[in-house]
Amino acid sequence: MIPTQWFLILSAILFAIGVCGVLTRKNGITIFMSIELMVNAVNLTFLAYARQFHQLHGLIFVFFVMAIAAAEAAVGLAIFISLFHHRETIDVDEANLMHW
Amino acid sequence: MFEYVVFFFFAAVAVIFALVVILHRNPVVSALSLVVSFFSLSVMYVLLDAPFLAVLQVIVYAGAIMVLFLFVIMLLNLQHMSEPATRPIQQFLGYTTSAAFAIGLVYYVIKYAVFTAMPSGPFHTESSAIGVALFESYVFPFEMVSILLLAAIVGALLLSGRTTVRSEVQP
Repeated sequence: MIPTQWFLILSAILFAIGVCGVLTRKNGITIFMSIELMVNAVNLTFLAYARQFHQLHGLIFVFFVMAIAAAEAAVGLAIFISLFHHRETIDVDEANLMHW
Repeated sequence: MFEYVVFFFFAAVAVIFALVVILHRNPVVSALSLVVSFFSLSVMYVLLDAPFLAVLQVIVYAGAIMVLFLFVIMLLNLQHMSEPATRPIQQFLGYTTSAAFAIGLVYYVIKYAVFTAMPSGPFHTESSAIGVALFESYVFPFEMVSILLLAAIVGALLLSGRTTVRSEVQP
């Protein structure tokens, strides 16, 4: 039986990699993929705790997170397509419509 | 012993391909590396006694969502998009901040996430148990998710429908 802590460490590393991608990249699609990576790291944490405490709620939460991620991917990619139509790029530095 | 080998192998694969996702210049390579990373995570789910969610991870994430990503990358022809190296200071700060974040997170997990023994007995996570929980105690959130998915479909159509948006903005 693999200790729960190891899964939490793996999840922490993956989450930090996702944070690094969001902070350093400018390509909108890559930033979006980093967000998906962070969502998956959180899912891993949910499942690790679910097994640790023998609770089914963690699994149900992961199920809902997957559904939300699907909705998020659909809307987010539609936003990028729309952005590309208007600006001919998906560099997030160019998307400065709401800049102060 | 065998499951320790599996854990370390797939943990290494997940971390390495996650690094490829954020470091590679070509978005297509990033998307395919993310698929590999998600596959390794589904192996982790199997190790965590959640085979149903492992299957769901492969079908929904590695299958549907990543195909959507690849479709958009190909549609917008982003393979050759160059990323100019502007703002080096901010980029350096991003790397250092996230490295510090990683070290802090791992430190606190090692120090404070110490567990006593698990409850004995098998952990029942069959799809039947999940289904019963979904339609008994979680039936309201389940219905809300269906409405949310409908709203997401409508929103995606509205956002990507070029002509209708244009005609509303510029009459």
